[in-house]
Amino acid sequence: MAAESALLEVGVMFAAIAAVGVLAGRLNLSPIPFYILAGIALNEFVLGATGLPAVSNGEFVQIGAELGIVFLLFFLGLEFNLDRLLADRRRIGAAGVIDLVVNFGVGLAVGWVLFGSPLPALLVAGVVYVSSSAIITKSLLDLGWIANPESSPLLGVLVFEDLVVAVYLAVVTALVVGGGDVGAAARAIGVAFGFILLLLALVALGTALFERLLDTPSSEYFILRAVGVTVLLAGAALAAGVSEAVAAFFVGMAFSSTEYVHDLETALASIRDVFAAVFFFWIGLVTDPFVVVDAAGVILVLVVLTAPTKLLSGFYGGRTYALDDRRSLRVGLAMITRGEFSLIIAAVALSGADGTLPAETARTIYAAAVGYVLVMSTLGTTLMGASGHFDRFLPTRS
Amino acid sequence: MRVYESEVPGVGRKFELELTGDESVVVVVHHDGRCELFHRDGPDADAEKILDLKGEQANRLGSILEGAYFESVDVDSLSVPLGEAIIEWVEVDADSPVAGETLGNSKIRTATGTSIIAIQRGEETVANPTPETKLESGDLLVAVGTREEQAELATMVEGDA
Repeated sequence: MAAESALLEVGVMFAAIAAVGVLAGRLNLSPIPFYILAGIALNEFVLGATGLPAVSNGEFVQIGAELGIVFLLFFLGLEFNLDRLLADRRRIGAAGVIDLVVNFGVGLAVGWVLFGSPLPALLVAGVVYVSSSAIITKSLLDLGWIANPESSPLLGVLVFEDLVVAVYLAVVTALVVGGGDVGAAARAIGVAFGFILLLLALVALGTALFERLLDTPSSEYFILRAVGVTVLLAGAALAAGVSEAVAAFFVGMAFSSTEYVHDLETALASIRDVFAAVFFFWIGLVTDPFVVVDAAGVILVLVVLTAPTKLLSGFYGGRTYALDDRRSLRVGLAMITRGEFSLIIAAVALSGADGTLPAETARTIYAAAVGYVLVMSTLGTTLMGASGHFDRFLPTRS
Repeated sequence: MRVYESEVPGVGRKFELELTGDESVVVVVHHDGRCELFHRDGPDADAEKILDLKGEQANRLGSILEGAYFESVDVDSLSVPLGEAIIEWVEVDADSPVAGETLGNSKIRTATGTSIIAIQRGEETVANPTPETKLESGDLLVAVGTREEQAELATMVEGDA
């Protein structure tokens, strides 16, 4: 009986995801906030409160969300272009460091003021630091900016952020999952970096191995082998207390030096899309909107402080690429958009509730992050569309 | 003429082609084959999207631009320099009413409106046949006329009418 209703719940989830996806398409907006809102609408705090059967936070949804994180990061690794980073390291480095110092720094300070301890501050810093590659790239295509010079600093800084996030997630996951006292934290970080070194060795030396692994004419075996390796290594990482997202990122990187990159992108894109949507839905499913309302003050502070900081760091990032003011402003407006990574960090924070984080703090950070992403994803996209109206505020006209 | 190529993570590849002056064309090729074309007037101008093509359409456009596009000709849509008229062939059988007649006596032109511009007789080609030219069984008449006129000619020569 339980199994039968569980399948129905999963069906309701996918139907809801598909339905809001149609809506987002009609409005020409990113579907991510819509998936989250669908999850909130159908969860125990909203639909459940009306007495109707809500979609429960079941095992399938949880594992599905986990797989969503794994495939999102796998693709990031697969498409991570180290050559681009190295070839353009001076400009990307400069723009990336400005972005990191300003936004991570402000996040750290705000987190410290709000929660008064280092781990929550670190989590808040991560949430406000990372811009959303997925949403920004989509907007770049929609607005045609992809063919303009401002796409260079944007894509460059996003690649820089990806790399920082990989390291950040490794550290933060270790601290949240394995932390506690200083000794345990150090041990957990040691394990995390040991695991990453292992994976880096795989990236550097395992190309031939991965080539052989994927060498099959059958598309069925191909996709099964790719999924098998990725999920196995990500799962092993999580079991060892290391971030599964980081493991998936490096597995993707290992695959990226094989000749099968394009085949992998084609074969796995639909799996990623399905589970990434489940991840965003799950984010909403475990969000109590009343806690989000309670965290409205925190959200407001974060929005008011970190929208301008991204605008500023993005603007100066554009200037390091010798762009004019108008284009630099666009870089700043685009970078305001936060999304998937902030939510992954929020999920990490939630997993630390009653462990390394006080339950109250973990839930507040989580709810604030969800509300923050809902605001910032919409705000960033809207500001990009309206960028023409801001030109007159520029100090000099070009 | 230089082409700059770069990757767009999560999307595909971007190609920027410098044209004459400051103009440039930017092509974004998605992983799924979708192809977007942008045009930019100069370094300060914003790109304008000119085309958004599915993979197959992009390939077809590409082969046309490359001059490598071939397809079997659709006769119905083929325009010939004769206006409405087309050139067709009709064979004179032994039991055809025109077999043994001269071209003038056969009244082909007055009855059908077609003009016989040549007669293929075995290996020999009789170009510009005169009204005195005799039609023989086995001749291949090459005629100019509209589609309707050609149909009438075929009926007449076959002798079904």
